[in-house]
Amino acid sequence: MRSLLNFLARYNNLIIFLILEGFSIYFVVTRNSYQNTRILFMVRRLTYGIEEKINNTRNYLNLKEINNNLAAENVALKNSLERLVKEENSLFISVSDSVYKQQYVHTAAEVIDNSVNKQKNFFTINKGKLQGIMVNMAVNSGDGVAGVVVGCSDNFSVAMSLLNLDFKLSARIKSNGYFGSLSWDGKNYRQAVLSEIPQHVIVNIGDTIETTGFSAVFPEGILVGTVSDFEKMGGDFYKIRISLTTDFKKLHFVDVIGNMKKTEQLNLQNLVQ
Amino acid sequence: MINSIIRYGLIFIILILLQVLLFNNIQFSGYINPYVYIMFILLLPFEIPAWLLLLLSFAIGGFIDFFSGSPGMHASATVLAAFVRPLILRVISPRDGYEPNSDLSMINYGFRWFFTYTILIVLVHHTALFYLEVFRFAEFFRTLLRVLLSSLFSVAFIVLIEYYRKGR
Repeated sequence: MRSLLNFLARYNNLIIFLILEGFSIYFVVTRNSYQNTRILFMVRRLTYGIEEKINNTRNYLNLKEINNNLAAENVALKNSLERLVKEENSLFISVSDSVYKQQYVHTAAEVIDNSVNKQKNFFTINKGKLQGIMVNMAVNSGDGVAGVVVGCSDNFSVAMSLLNLDFKLSARIKSNGYFGSLSWDGKNYRQAVLSEIPQHVIVNIGDTIETTGFSAVFPEGILVGTVSDFEKMGGDFYKIRISLTTDFKKLHFVDVIGNMKKTEQLNLQNLVQ
Repeated sequence: MINSIIRYGLIFIILILLQVLLFNNIQFSGYINPYVYIMFILLLPFEIPAWLLLLLSFAIGGFIDFFSGSPGMHASATVLAAFVRPLILRVISPRDGYEPNSDLSMINYGFRWFFTYTILIVLVHHTALFYLEVFRFAEFFRTLLRVLLSSLFSVAFIVLIEYYRKGR
């Protein structure tokens, strides 16, 4: 007993050090288990107030640019609406129920906290469960893919940014339809890497990359970026570097996209496989 | 005693606010992010018992984790920095030793001493932090580059703040 006490007295600092390190590493590891962002989330709730204030101030400085973007987006939407209305009128005379056609619901939200300088970046948006946001919804900036929702509280959600080493996206080359897996390599916040494209495919610099919609998270055909350069890796695949169309440093207004038919699709896939 | 508790309490709060409100928002070229809050560990008095030093650094690391949404990472890096602080102080001790009841500041021990002290602690802290963040040793050298670049900026800011303190 005495020698145990002696031991404790002698190494007490080391023991405290190990206990504290143990706690910290435990937190780090539990958070790193990919989908488990609960802790991150609980913790964030405490700081929302401050973050929202900072964000409000920052927004004020960007109002002009934001207005321009919104105006441009409005024009694009009006044009597509016009087209749709015309087509409907000429084709159908009777009133048809078109509700079943809708597959995706869009919700506009604002980013209130964001980072690009970590290896695992997350951002927070100001809509949550009460506004219909759910885990695994896609987040799209005006310019392209932004991230995936990984946690929701009543009024806020945390999304995993594309700039996260854990982020994986099924994407394809628009011109020829070959698809591969897109991820971020943690180097440059403007670039991501598309892998698993076989070497017989013809790839050109400047080719458009878009989502495939295979994962039932992102709708088909959302812009991701353009090919900025590519090299042949060992094996049979290209390593294609993509310059992202979304500028994550000024990510602000985003569009959260929910897939209404997702459960149906996944259930069917599970049933067959 | 009470005086110094109030003083270090103030430093604690000011450094957290500076880090969260100002330095967390500074992002040079995407991946450099200065972490100046570890200045708190640098400034704590020489006589502080090791267990208190460890607990205080766990506390400040925990607070920073709260505000930057990264549970455990900063806490673990600061605790490591606090653990090696006595060793570093022993290695770089000035010729006459440390004067009792004196601050570990630039005024008392000079620029060169403070500079080495800061560099060593910052390097330990940043190395732990950045490797914990990627959580793998693939691309070892790129992470190392990030450690060095961020350390450069952290040290620069810490020395700058210390200069300001000195001027006051």
